[in-house]
Amino acid sequence: MSTPDSELDKHLRALFSGLDTGADFDARLMARLRAESQIGATERAMLARQQERVRYRRALSELQNWRRSMLRLLTLDTLGIALLLVVAVVTAWPRLSRDVMGISRQYGPYIVTLLSVLIAAVPLLGMWAEQTRRPIRLL
Amino acid sequence: MLTDARALELVRSERRDEAIALLLPAFRRKVFGLAYSFLRDREAAEDVTQDVFIKVWRALPGFDGRASLSTWIYAIARNASLSALRARRSQSSLSDPDVMDAVEAIDPAPSADDIVDRAALLRLVDQLPTKQRQVIMLFYMEEQSHEGVANMLAMPVGTVKTLLHRARARMSAAAGK
Repeated sequence: MSTPDSELDKHLRALFSGLDTGADFDARLMARLRAESQIGATERAMLARQQERVRYRRALSELQNWRRSMLRLLTLDTLGIALLLVVAVVTAWPRLSRDVMGISRQYGPYIVTLLSVLIAAVPLLGMWAEQTRRPIRLL
Repeated sequence: MLTDARALELVRSERRDEAIALLLPAFRRKVFGLAYSFLRDREAAEDVTQDVFIKVWRALPGFDGRASLSTWIYAIARNASLSALRARRSQSSLSDPDVMDAVEAIDPAPSADDIVDRAALLRLVDQLPTKQRQVIMLFYMEEQSHEGVANMLAMPVGTVKTLLHRARARMSAAAGK
């Protein structure tokens, strides 16, 4: 003999116990997971491309900054100094020319080394000049 | 638990798809039932269930095993259901024609009396307060396990028993009118 509650239990069980997803649920989910995996791979590739683009832009920007700082050195001051040096060399050349060949033979390697050190120091001098003063810009 | 250990082992060996294939038969109905108890819409509950398993698949490598897998999956399912519920705003009812069709589909050839009984019963369930309705649905779906329902709804077992008792009493009273 059944009580009203057990009758209710029976009906409720019949109503809800069979509740389940559609038959194609698993297949749809697996298809979505496969798509997710592919999206993951595509995203990783996109991220790598993006990082490479950022790295390239940064390198380009560093190069442009270096060019800009070199151009900033081209001021009235530096041009004036270069002009004075040229005038001094041209003026002194007739007196020095006789000895130049002898000196170059004797001190050639030292002069080359000194010039190399000076060339290497130019960017450092440029940076120092940029930090310590505001030059008059020509360009 | 055996499923937890095996699933974690598969995740650690980077076989997430196999881990999901293992979890799916164990949790599909439960997650669907949980989503359905919130949303009262079969299609929306299926969509949420799919999303839950996708989320589980994505998050499995970060699962630390502090809670059991079932507790973790049910938490994801509850949050996903609540989000879907908020997004939908307008709630459908268990006695909506779509829901009726879905429930009728369980029995391939119900008699006219069965349909009337079911419709009446669904209306009774639908009239229950939310928590009572959820407990009733999950209890009868979940092979009448108080602990199972408590785990799914993150409630103490005592609360589940109380809600179930009140829901039954309310339905019996309503049916007796």
